[in-house]
Amino acid sequence: MNLKATIGMETHVELDTKSKMFCSCEVVETDEPNVSVCPTCLGLPGALPVPNKTAIEYIVMLSLGANCKITNEGMFHRKNYFYPDLPKNYQISQFDFPVGVNGSLEIVLDEELHSVEIERVHMEEDTGKSVHMGSGRIDSATSTLLDFNRSGIPLVEVVTKPVISTSKMAVAYIEELRQVVIDLGISKGKLEKGNLRFDANISVADENANELGTKVEIKNMNSLKSLEKAIDYEIMRQSKQVEKGESVIQETRHWDENKQVTVSMRTKEGSADYRYFSDPDLPNMIIDQDFIDNSKKNIQNLPTDKRKTLKESGLSLSDSNYLDKGEKWLYDLYLSTVENTKDSKSTFNFLTGELQGQMRKAEIDELPNWVDSVKLANLINLFETNEVSFTSAKDILTKLLSEDIDPKSYASDNNLIQSSDDEEIKALVTSIIKDNQDIVERLEDPEDKLVGFLVGQVMKSSENKVNPGTVKDILLKELFG
Amino acid sequence: MSENFNIDDVSNLASIELSEDEKAKLQKDLQIILEHVDALKNIDVKDEKIDIHPLSKVLELRKDESKESLKHEDAMMNSPETKDGHFVVPPSIE
Repeated sequence: MNLKATIGMETHVELDTKSKMFCSCEVVETDEPNVSVCPTCLGLPGALPVPNKTAIEYIVMLSLGANCKITNEGMFHRKNYFYPDLPKNYQISQFDFPVGVNGSLEIVLDEELHSVEIERVHMEEDTGKSVHMGSGRIDSATSTLLDFNRSGIPLVEVVTKPVISTSKMAVAYIEELRQVVIDLGISKGKLEKGNLRFDANISVADENANELGTKVEIKNMNSLKSLEKAIDYEIMRQSKQVEKGESVIQETRHWDENKQVTVSMRTKEGSADYRYFSDPDLPNMIIDQDFIDNSKKNIQNLPTDKRKTLKESGLSLSDSNYLDKGEKWLYDLYLSTVENTKDSKSTFNFLTGELQGQMRKAEIDELPNWVDSVKLANLINLFETNEVSFTSAKDILTKLLSEDIDPKSYASDNNLIQSSDDEEIKALVTSIIKDNQDIVERLEDPEDKLVGFLVGQVMKSSENKVNPGTVKDILLKELFG
Repeated sequence: MSENFNIDDVSNLASIELSEDEKAKLQKDLQIILEHVDALKNIDVKDEKIDIHPLSKVLELRKDESKESLKHEDAMMNSPETKDGHFVVPPSIE
């Protein structure tokens, strides 16, 4: 029996607003508990919620960014459940009239574009944070400590249709969504800070089955790596059960990072158990065309637009996807540099490989102000035209990162310009052949490893001033005709 | 008539413990409510305009400005137990 996995993702995006969703408490990043709380976000009786306009603008922007249709007449619902981090005993959320419906996000997997359909984008509020006290084991906690600074921070939930088939595709989708919210400027998008939190709904069934298998929800994946591992593990676990003819239980499972397994948390509530009903404190939310148009004005240069520009510069889809997910300065630097090099691949390789590598090594986050795209393009052109070796180019870059130099003048002044004089190289080659007759006699064909040794000898005798490619060409011509 | 109505599920969801007598009484009362809702389901509304919310008022939105919150001490004032600035509750593991 051939099995197929079907995955749907639910992602919570914490919006980057100044104040909370339904009250004017400041959104704070602090370890000091309960310092930004009020009767509304503490769920005290009689407090009334008033929605944050910027949060509504942001969710409209995200819905548009995810190509959704906007629901013009929406509303808020109460999702009822008891948990101490939710003191009202209900979360204000949206049920059957979410802000955005039926969208899609384009993702890149290897060199292919895929579309992930989005079912809904809805607005809700975050809960407080719980810390369980006790001997270390979560199930032997003696008390729970509560901090409500996070309670009421605007959250957007983005739900995909069950259209994802592999863990890699799920990771690519989250990376894309993360970049969309960063480019829209509506969330910091930091996974490690919990700005983006995701759950995966996974089922496994016979590939020819018309219906999906039983859905299991996986929670507690804090990084893209754990998302990938948790999905792979869960697909394996369910596949074993299906193959044995056992039925998979519909439940919520928790990813145990230490044991690298999913563990059953509880049987899953159906949506009826949440007893959704329209929140009488919050009347109809009208999102008219003016509001949509105003929100649209703030949308520019999303990952798909950036990929298009990058592809037009000559990059492959996967390289474009890498750069559109990177920092903005690198994207801008690449585009201005490639204008002066006209060589997309070597510009990409040099900036993402050598430049970023050296910056990491030197522990610098920002380029010094004298390093601009013109100097970098000059440097790339120097080694692309074989005027300097790649090794010299790397040394010039190191110098450039610490001192305001002109790459070309520096190369000349420091004797780094390679000879492209064939006669000069030929003389060197002849002399090396003569001095290494024993090796020359052992050569069998042009692919022989010893050819590399001879090229190295020529390079050494020239003090690396000649181009190794040219040396090899001349050497082979001399040896094999 | 609505089937699968189980008073134990409902008391569990509501986190309210019920005695057997209370269960019997509520089972009867809630069943009447469900029958009433079932009666509503039989009304032909296909030509009616859908009011999605009980209020006709339109939601007012607030500018994204932060204002002073409760003082920490005031926020914690009525809590029976606190620790390091947190509210303390019995162990609650999902």
